[in-house]
Amino acid sequence: MLNPSSPTNLEAVTRPIETARGLPNAHYVSDAAFEEERIALLFRNWSGIGVASDVPEPGDVIPVELAGMPLLVVRDHDGEVRVFQNTCRHRGMMLVERQGNLRGTIRCPYHSWCYNLDGSLRATPHVGGPGRNIDSSVKREEFGLFSIRSAVWRDVIFVNVSGDAPEFSDYAAELMQRWGEHSQPLHHGGASSGFAFDVACNWKLAVENFCESYHLPWIHPGLNSYSRLEDHYHIEEPGHFAGQGTTVYRQIEGDRGEQLPDFAGLSGFWDRGAEYIALFPNVMLAAQRDHGFAVILLPQGPGRTIERNEIYYSFDPKERPDLKALIDRNARQWRSVLEEDIFVVEGMQKGRHGVRFDGGKFAPRMDGPTHTFHRWAAEQIEGSRQSRNGS
Amino acid sequence: MNADELDSGILEAWSSGDGPRLAELYAAAGNSMLASGLEDKGCFFLTQAYIIALENGLEIAAPLHAELVRHGREE
Repeated sequence: MLNPSSPTNLEAVTRPIETARGLPNAHYVSDAAFEEERIALLFRNWSGIGVASDVPEPGDVIPVELAGMPLLVVRDHDGEVRVFQNTCRHRGMMLVERQGNLRGTIRCPYHSWCYNLDGSLRATPHVGGPGRNIDSSVKREEFGLFSIRSAVWRDVIFVNVSGDAPEFSDYAAELMQRWGEHSQPLHHGGASSGFAFDVACNWKLAVENFCESYHLPWIHPGLNSYSRLEDHYHIEEPGHFAGQGTTVYRQIEGDRGEQLPDFAGLSGFWDRGAEYIALFPNVMLAAQRDHGFAVILLPQGPGRTIERNEIYYSFDPKERPDLKALIDRNARQWRSVLEEDIFVVEGMQKGRHGVRFDGGKFAPRMDGPTHTFHRWAAEQIEGSRQSRNGS
Repeated sequence: MNADELDSGILEAWSSGDGPRLAELYAAAGNSMLASGLEDKGCFFLTQAYIIALENGLEIAAPLHAELVRHGREE
């Protein structure tokens, strides 16, 4: 097992794919490695924690966790999404435990210190004794909630816990540029278009599986008739993202041949093109002519991940009740496809308890996106180690 | 409203999550104490009312705050 005094050797992971090995087992099964990656991969970069659709109205709040760190997502009175550490500055009590709408301030349930929705400390009842709400040592301007750097893109709420990553617009610039035509409003599909899986695997295995098309003919045989392996291509942007694309995307149709409206103004590429990309570390995104989706991986420990899936359209579903059946059918179809992957990622998790597994051998022509992710992870971990060691 | 009625009313409002009623009862208790010259006890209850009013976004938060400031109990 990994411990801080004996870090894993990641040299083989960063080699060219022909001679590289995957991340060592410890990075999938060890608590120490999970803790190391929590900082190196999840906190030092921009990680997805939820979607803005979770908090549609001013005053809406939802508590979330990023690898055990309690966070609070708030839609403030100006309509902005804000993220705070969900911890009272007084005694460290968790502030909000349930999703809801706040009519006023955030009140700590312990001693009732109150915070405005912008995080500022509003009231400190009885702090100077009964009925005395002032104490010279409690300067309210110094004890607002810890604000967590956040950004919303394609409805996904990203956070940079360490606070020192590049601006999100720079962090995701290559992908934003690649999908520039899709830079237009997304509308969540409603209740059936949001679903989650509780999966017994390390979160990275879900990224790895999403990135590559090599497994499609074996795990998703239903795709073979129209979306064969040779119709897919790799997407690799070292240091940023990896994934796969297809050139034979086929729109879903209803019983009467009805289709979902396209996003506006797309070029001809998207008539049959579609792309599925993991924006490192933990968000997987899809861009297609008539809908997109986001998968957010919420690590619960080395061997358990909550996988949130959210589907989006070019139109507001509330204004098109005639398309509800097709939206529901589309959600069922994606749910079915994504469920087909669960036994794979859970099987790889079990396999990584085999102590002689050495990270595996990449297939150079087929596993490029997976290796791109592994190499990114290894480089991030090494960078974090060097930073910790002050070098 | 005597003290027992006030106590039971406050407990009932807490258990039912009725913020406006709770703030109203605490404010009444606070004002009653202040009227009797019991500043510390009055400000205690007004503080309770103020916090509940803040949490519930009630308009009485502003006058409660002003009253607490007047007594040097709030900034």
